[in-house]
Amino acid sequence: MDNWTKIKHLYHRAGFGLSLEEALNKKKSNIQKEINTIFKAQQNSKIKTPEGFTALQRNIQSASDMRDKGKRREIELQARKLTPKIVEDWILLMARTENPLLEKMSLFWHGHFACRTRMPHLASLQLNTIREHALGNFKDLTLAIAKDPSMIRYLNNQQNNKRSPNENFARELLELFTIGIGNYTEKDIKEAGRAFTGWKSDVLKGKFVFNEKQHDFGEKTFMGKKGNFNGEDIIDIIFEQKQTAQFIASKVYKYFVNPQPNPSLINELADVFYSSNYDIKKMMKHLFSSSWFYHKINMGVKIKSPVELIVEMTKSLQLEYPNFTPIMNVQRQLGQIIFNPPNVAGWAGNKAWIDNATLLTRLNLPALLLMSKNVFLKNNENKKGKKFLDKFKVEVDINCYYKEFKNSSKTEIRDELISYCINVPLSVSKDIITRGVEGKTQEEIIQKMIYKVMSLPEYQLC
Amino acid sequence: MNRRKFIQNTALASSAFLVPNFLKSTDFRKTYGSRSGKTLVVIQLSGGNDGLNTIVPFNNDIYYKLRPRLAVSAADAIRLNDHQALNPALQALQNIYDNGEMTILNNVGYPNPNRSHFRSMDIWQTGSGSHQYIQTGWLGRYLDSECQNCQPHYALDVDDKLNLALKGSEISGFATDSFAQLNRKTKNRYLQLITKHHQEQDHENVEYLYKTLIDTQSSAEYLFEKSKIHRSTIKYPNHKFANDLKTIAELMTADADIKIYYATLDGFDTHAGQKMKQDKLLKTYADSISTFIKDLKSNDLFNDTLIMTFSEFGRRVKQNASGGTDHGTANNLFLMGGKLKKAGIYNEAPNLSNLDNGDLIYNIDFRQIYAEVLNRWLDTDATKVLNQKFNSLGVI
Repeated sequence: MDNWTKIKHLYHRAGFGLSLEEALNKKKSNIQKEINTIFKAQQNSKIKTPEGFTALQRNIQSASDMRDKGKRREIELQARKLTPKIVEDWILLMARTENPLLEKMSLFWHGHFACRTRMPHLASLQLNTIREHALGNFKDLTLAIAKDPSMIRYLNNQQNNKRSPNENFARELLELFTIGIGNYTEKDIKEAGRAFTGWKSDVLKGKFVFNEKQHDFGEKTFMGKKGNFNGEDIIDIIFEQKQTAQFIASKVYKYFVNPQPNPSLINELADVFYSSNYDIKKMMKHLFSSSWFYHKINMGVKIKSPVELIVEMTKSLQLEYPNFTPIMNVQRQLGQIIFNPPNVAGWAGNKAWIDNATLLTRLNLPALLLMSKNVFLKNNENKKGKKFLDKFKVEVDINCYYKEFKNSSKTEIRDELISYCINVPLSVSKDIITRGVEGKTQEEIIQKMIYKVMSLPEYQLC
Repeated sequence: MNRRKFIQNTALASSAFLVPNFLKSTDFRKTYGSRSGKTLVVIQLSGGNDGLNTIVPFNNDIYYKLRPRLAVSAADAIRLNDHQALNPALQALQNIYDNGEMTILNNVGYPNPNRSHFRSMDIWQTGSGSHQYIQTGWLGRYLDSECQNCQPHYALDVDDKLNLALKGSEISGFATDSFAQLNRKTKNRYLQLITKHHQEQDHENVEYLYKTLIDTQSSAEYLFEKSKIHRSTIKYPNHKFANDLKTIAELMTADADIKIYYATLDGFDTHAGQKMKQDKLLKTYADSISTFIKDLKSNDLFNDTLIMTFSEFGRRVKQNASGGTDHGTANNLFLMGGKLKKAGIYNEAPNLSNLDNGDLIYNIDFRQIYAEVLNRWLDTDATKVLNQKFNSLGVI
């Protein structure tokens, strides 16, 4: 495997691909250096709660004080409209960050701890919690999620009290978040549910609250142990089981390496994870440093998720969104809306992303961005003159391609773009891609060529 | 070779599939002699339709006590038996009911009901239990098990986004709400060029993407051509839902190779000002469905059709303070068709004196109905699709 293929593979899996500029810079680099760069990156700015929420929060508070339910609901609905701003900020951060692994890992955990969140302050809170621990310790992350107001609401722990326990959170903690089905009993679920009684949240303030009166301090039997366990103790016991490391390692392998599991490599990852006491960064470093990660069978074996696709195109075409609504619609069309997973099991991924409707939307995105009659690209002479598509208000900036390919022939442009964008062997001959590409200017030719390469079904894979 | 076979083969043989001339005959009614097989039409009422104001318990004091402002008056309701009546907005269904072409199943739900739209719809679409998370739909799994060699449009969702119910792990249904637009999208010359020149690769996902694209291209063309063959002569109400049903009727009349159709009517989440909203929706539903059935009958298709209408949950028995109702649990479900085994009201009306926290208690698991549809109408083994055995209801 040549060096450039490995670097591309690394950046697709540990991040969201490379911008053209980054790609040109890294082409001659070596893989070890790039692994180090990825793991040394520091950037970790917080996602902000959208402006304007604080005022709404005050209004919700006063509506609650006056016990005006209708008013409160009305303001809440207004507040929910701010949540897409967080999605926008995060997508832009994924595209522009110096620390892509952190955001990629956070996207993984966002799907793992799948949770529907509608209020903006709870969404940013949860996202920052995930980002804080994304490359840290998995046990810390799990505990933080158990105390996360959105999750407490989503899995009904708000209704979990000693008089009538609600075991929903406890069940999913075991089944989906940590150890996996088949490794505990129904009794274990009930007992764990009791241990999490009184773990509630102040929704308006966005804070975890322990309600002592509702907590069941009595003795519980959980996974063969007896004691007056609380939620922390339950998590401790779950994490003593090596199966928990195994369960997460398997999911990590399928997400970052290959949707087809390889039991011996998953065991290897689980060993690193368990012996490091659930150090996520250590496991990931082991994964990306292993020679098996760069094996041919793992190249281009993943279908990009809708968010991965959007972020990669944002990087490659330097997209800006004067209005984010079209990108929310693309997420909806393609079946992955951030903060809105189909259920607590998260997104199924891989082939499940694809049906006739989603595939056509995916394949038509480059045309929409680059070839539509209404699209006007930013150019050097006309930097101020921002013009947008009528409906699809997205700005495209491909000046770096114009600069790089100023003196290149059609076939050179094509070959460079294939090398930059495509991660699998092509299934059509290259002359099909160049066929019919004409233009009055070099820039027009470059633009058409980007469209053609990005419209290949192969572009959907990484 | 029968006609259906012929069409399939033609579609497979040529990507530039053209409809044989004899199918374009205007006197189409005479050509459907070869039509075979049963068709399932699923109607999803999104938002949680209030079942108690749909099929009204007009003889029940508790109903009137708990819904002083919202109850449908006994005088207005269209009586079906001594206990239940149609909301007058459903007038158009009366004939269908009287003809023995409609079964009303009361109290349909599932154990440990979930009151979130999202989750409850998820449960209905995947056919899961309340504590189970499945990433494929019940009809998608039917396609997985029965449809290795079917056309990609064998299950058609008349929508721009594929319903989870139709998503399988290997084979999924087909979604489109505009055949003309879909056809234009797939006519993209470049996409046609690359599929024409695609060379098979030893790469599973590359092949999967190209196969899906090629299937989409051929189905888009097939559906577009099929949709032009027959134009309904019956006037449908002026509403998108009615138009979707019209599209379905036209494809069925044109003998399109489609086994399952899926259509959605949204807006049933009536927390406030329910009466006007729900009556309008129910009228749209009933007028559209009755026109659809009339259309199917005039083309001799109704005997081979089963229409199932469901919503993700019913609503609370007691009205709320805003002239609406909040999310509830068990609900009624309708089956319609020319060959129902047991028409009329299938089981007892909801018991309003025995509620669970103000909500109706289910006594038919919705998966029993799915099982019945799968076993008796789609001729498959429901246990394989639902991963559980359910007792027969004897309706279909």
